[in-house]
Amino acid sequence: MFNQPISRRESIKRIAGFSAAAAAWSWPSIAIPGQGASGRVVVVGGGFGGATAAKYLKRMAPELAVTLVEPNTRYITCPFTNLYLGGIRSFESLWHSYDELRQRYDVEVIHELATDVDVDGHTVELASGTRLAWDRLILSPGIDIRWNELDGYDEAAAEKAPHAWKPGDQSRLLRQQLAGMKQGGTFVLVAPDNPFRCPPGPYERVSMVAHYLKNHNPSAKVLLLDAKDGFSKQGLFMQGWAEHYGDMIEWVSRSNDGTVIRVDADRLEVETEFGMIHAADVLNVVPPQKAGFIADRAGVTDASGWVPVRPDTFASALVDDVYVIGDATQAAPMPKSGFIASTQGKVAARAIAAELTGRVLLPEPSWANTCYSLIAPEHGISIVGVYEVYNGQLREVPDSGGVSPMGADPLFRQLEAEYARGWYAAITQDVWGTPAS
Amino acid sequence: MQNIRLIAMMFGLLAIGFTEPVWGWQRIPEIQAVLAGTEPRMAGVRLEVPAVTQDGSSVPVTVTVDAPMRADAYVEAIHLFATRNPSPELAEYTLHPLLGRASLSTRIRLDQSQAVVALARTSDGEWLGAVESVRVTVSGCLSRAGTYTSDNHMQVRVRVPDRLRTGQVGEVRTMIQHPMETGLREDASGRVIPANIIEELHVKWDDQPVLRARWHRAMAANPYLLFSIAPAQSGALSMRWTEDTGATAEYRAAIEVRP
Repeated sequence: MFNQPISRRESIKRIAGFSAAAAAWSWPSIAIPGQGASGRVVVVGGGFGGATAAKYLKRMAPELAVTLVEPNTRYITCPFTNLYLGGIRSFESLWHSYDELRQRYDVEVIHELATDVDVDGHTVELASGTRLAWDRLILSPGIDIRWNELDGYDEAAAEKAPHAWKPGDQSRLLRQQLAGMKQGGTFVLVAPDNPFRCPPGPYERVSMVAHYLKNHNPSAKVLLLDAKDGFSKQGLFMQGWAEHYGDMIEWVSRSNDGTVIRVDADRLEVETEFGMIHAADVLNVVPPQKAGFIADRAGVTDASGWVPVRPDTFASALVDDVYVIGDATQAAPMPKSGFIASTQGKVAARAIAAELTGRVLLPEPSWANTCYSLIAPEHGISIVGVYEVYNGQLREVPDSGGVSPMGADPLFRQLEAEYARGWYAAITQDVWGTPAS
Repeated sequence: MQNIRLIAMMFGLLAIGFTEPVWGWQRIPEIQAVLAGTEPRMAGVRLEVPAVTQDGSSVPVTVTVDAPMRADAYVEAIHLFATRNPSPELAEYTLHPLLGRASLSTRIRLDQSQAVVALARTSDGEWLGAVESVRVTVSGCLSRAGTYTSDNHMQVRVRVPDRLRTGQVGEVRTMIQHPMETGLREDASGRVIPANIIEELHVKWDDQPVLRARWHRAMAANPYLLFSIAPAQSGALSMRWTEDTGATAEYRAAIEVRP
């Protein structure tokens, strides 16, 4: 990937934007007289980012016409799919509907795939050929897999060696394979280099897989081949693995030849950088990723395959009137998590509502993220990050956030597992209006 | 209050826009020492680094010089610098035309967001260069234990092709287990951990030196190097890593070359 330094022209453009805001003394609400009248916003993608943005646009500015485009009639969350794999949560409990958005917030929800964006004409094209006009567009497209970037891993291979990194049939397939694995078999998970969706996800996944195996296939092994030398909440995970699963889980770091460079899905084998062949009975490949394809169609991605954004509003850094939120964005140090996607949805909604209505909306955005992970059903751990805009870039607020303590007692871990369930109930109620069960 | 913050942000943007990344690196003494008064042509070098990285402790870097590798015209040296590290030198590589291609991949440490500079000297004495900026963030969800194990200190991993066709360029991957202690880190009791690094990797094709890598403390732990080899006939590739203590590790592999 090639990195383009910020060009002079781009810098000047940015400074000009901020100067205009300074002159108005009402930043970030830049009133543009005459443009607020139509007030039409299209949101592409009904996940944590998009559904939140649609809902909060209507809450902040009910007079705006908001359309949400999402092919699925129900949304399945990525968070907690690992609990489904581990057999401690039903698949149906991860489903969420768009009824609240339609009925309570008067959002038009269209269940179609958005196939193209015309940024000059301000339209989105749907699979049926329908074109939707917008004054502001929000893209919350999530991730796409970079097929074949990992040699041998294409869509056909994923039917044999599932990624299960976008929930749905892939999650079910992996669950079936896990349940059907021979006694004493080896479950191999291939973890990618950064950046990827849900940094603690692969490690929670092997925890939940080990939980399932401990009860149903106790002589099985779990091999985690990693393209990295460290991972999120590493110390806590490794301590928890030893405590609950003994030596069932083996983590192979990049410097111990953990980087997989080739997948043979027919033979369920993988080859590492230095030539080791590992055979699997169940092979779960978490492949390299990029922003969802509609971001490319809109021209908002850069050479990295991800979307650069303006940190105060999540407006695209490249295309006017288009906002991008969630996993597709280059928002580090914010992680690619559902929680932060939802927060970004609120920030973008606020910026758009202010622009289109000319009103000043309070309060100022603030960002925080919590990632809970379960190591066992009653063993939860977490990491918290708090973020701000500093010198025009996102950063972690100094001396904020943190992770669960090492060596805490079982009650502490149990409480964090309870908080994890509470977090899921609260955020899905906020985003989709799903009643807490 | 908001106005003050806004003005501060504007100045911040000015600073980012105009001082990072491309200006000023020519004034770094270590770079001046290497260039010795010559002006590099900022062309012909492709420097691949991530625009944004979540882990400054191991940033992948690939340098490719768009120049021939023939006995009469080749790239004889590549230097890497990190402009805002505590010490800017990263690595110096001396190359031989038998490599077949002037392309190296490695991993470096970046202390903060900064520009990375690659300079290459051709056999006719010309300096070529490239500069790219990397933004280093530390993601909360990516915080890590940050400890190294020493049970396999200086263990070597190498991947060499068994056989090549005449004229084919083969790829060689190498890695040695080593913490690459910078001498800037403290242990749990607050004592500075002394510097301890792999200083050199020396590669020979039979008796001919083909690649010498000199590494500084900002190379990532477990030094990794991917390079190429294009031998004319069958022979053996041998490698020797040298630690700053004088300790060495060796590896040797034969490559069969067929028409």
